[in-house]
Amino acid sequence: MDFKTKDVKLTINIGKRLLTTGVCLVACLLLMQTTASAQDTTAAAKDAVIPAKAKPVKNTFQSIWIIDNQTVMVPVKGTFEMDIQHRFGTVNNGYSDFWGLYASSNIRIGVDYAPINNLYLGLGFEKYDELWDGSAKYAIIKQTRGESPVSITYYGNLSLDTRADPTKSLFSHYTDRILSFNEIIIARKFTDNLSIQVSPSITHQNAVPGYLTKNDSTGRTIFEEMKHDHFAISVAGRYKLGDATALLIDYDQPLTKEPTNNPNPNLSFGFEFSTSGHTFQLFMGNYSLLNPGKNALFNTNSPFDYTQTGGGKVKGGKFLIGFNITRLWN
Amino acid sequence: MFDHKFEYRLSIKKSMNNIKTKIKMKSKLTLATTLIALSIVSFAFTNIVQKTKPWPVPEKNAKTPNPVKSDKESLATGKSLWNLHCASCHGKTGLGDGSKAAQLKTQPQDLTTSAMQSQSDGSLFFKISEGRDDMPSFKKKISDPDDIWSVVNYMRTLKKS
Repeated sequence: MDFKTKDVKLTINIGKRLLTTGVCLVACLLLMQTTASAQDTTAAAKDAVIPAKAKPVKNTFQSIWIIDNQTVMVPVKGTFEMDIQHRFGTVNNGYSDFWGLYASSNIRIGVDYAPINNLYLGLGFEKYDELWDGSAKYAIIKQTRGESPVSITYYGNLSLDTRADPTKSLFSHYTDRILSFNEIIIARKFTDNLSIQVSPSITHQNAVPGYLTKNDSTGRTIFEEMKHDHFAISVAGRYKLGDATALLIDYDQPLTKEPTNNPNPNLSFGFEFSTSGHTFQLFMGNYSLLNPGKNALFNTNSPFDYTQTGGGKVKGGKFLIGFNITRLWN
Repeated sequence: MFDHKFEYRLSIKKSMNNIKTKIKMKSKLTLATTLIALSIVSFAFTNIVQKTKPWPVPEKNAKTPNPVKSDKESLATGKSLWNLHCASCHGKTGLGDGSKAAQLKTQPQDLTTSAMQSQSDGSLFFKISEGRDDMPSFKKKISDPDDIWSVVNYMRTLKKS
């Protein structure tokens, strides 16, 4: 029985999934080019009046977070930031735990600092898995009229599971506790109100659960339940409703098909409220973890209904309420 | 009988004591009230001093011309930054009546008056960039100086005509 549950596979049509992602990306690029050419003409007209060097576009996003993902934004040198993030339980229990608000919640507290321009370093601690994470973010290209239609930022995150494990039942080696997450964030501010970003990522886990399928004099074969490297892509957008309020949406799609334990995609949406030193994001989504790599690998909440390999139907709609608060000192 | 008398005396003594303590308390109360009143007066006085505290701007900064033309784009940038960074204290229209103004030690001044508006662009730019007391420095919060100039441009539109 135990073996069976372990071996349950989710049937996700990889071809269809790749096609959808592809179509989305192409649509994004096409949209990008039409707006880019439209903006270039206005830029040319303005340049004729004041011959000044074009400056990078500002405020593509208001915060370093867009719900569960990092945005392309890297704050100015000397900025110190504190983040408080909460993810409550899923809303499915209804009134009994007040739609998840009184269920067990996950919390991350983090700090970030920009020692030089374009670089942001962060350190955080998450309740789940007693996870420490260190991150680095570097702005490679900034969207500038006539120079670059998009902004590109690299984001890397290294996390360490620090749960006590005296019997070594969780981790055989210390390095098994480490997870790395690397992503490239490509963003464009289309209009004053609309910004969209696409970020492909790769998550690497040093150890995966597995078991022996053959162990005799001819040799051993090991069945690994997950792959060591996992690719995923996320698309996120912001639409400003006013100077301080914006709508946010974020979608994360796993791309690598895992042998078992396929992670679910994530759909989240909500509001952002900004002041001079704070941003406050309030939203609903599927990701309950507060580390990008862990979320990409282990998300069990699905936004959509799906069918498992055995034919079992699993209901989607596992949403939870969450918020991100950031405080900037600069 | 004796007992009654004794009790009577005792009660008189008690009530006398009560009156005494009450008087003591009263004098203490008066003292406390006076102290509070004094502190309020002195606080109000410091407030008055702060209100009129001059904010000198180095001549070089005051004379710096505004390099950003007050066009539609600059005013839009200025307005958006004003609403995000300034309006919570200075008010949506610059009257100093923002929602956070009451919590401040320094009452934000009415920026719509001609006395305020007669300051040079360079002076306003300097004050926004550097800040003082309750007014934060916006050098890093609005990292592009041209954007601060745009805020100055927008502040000009707040003038009462």
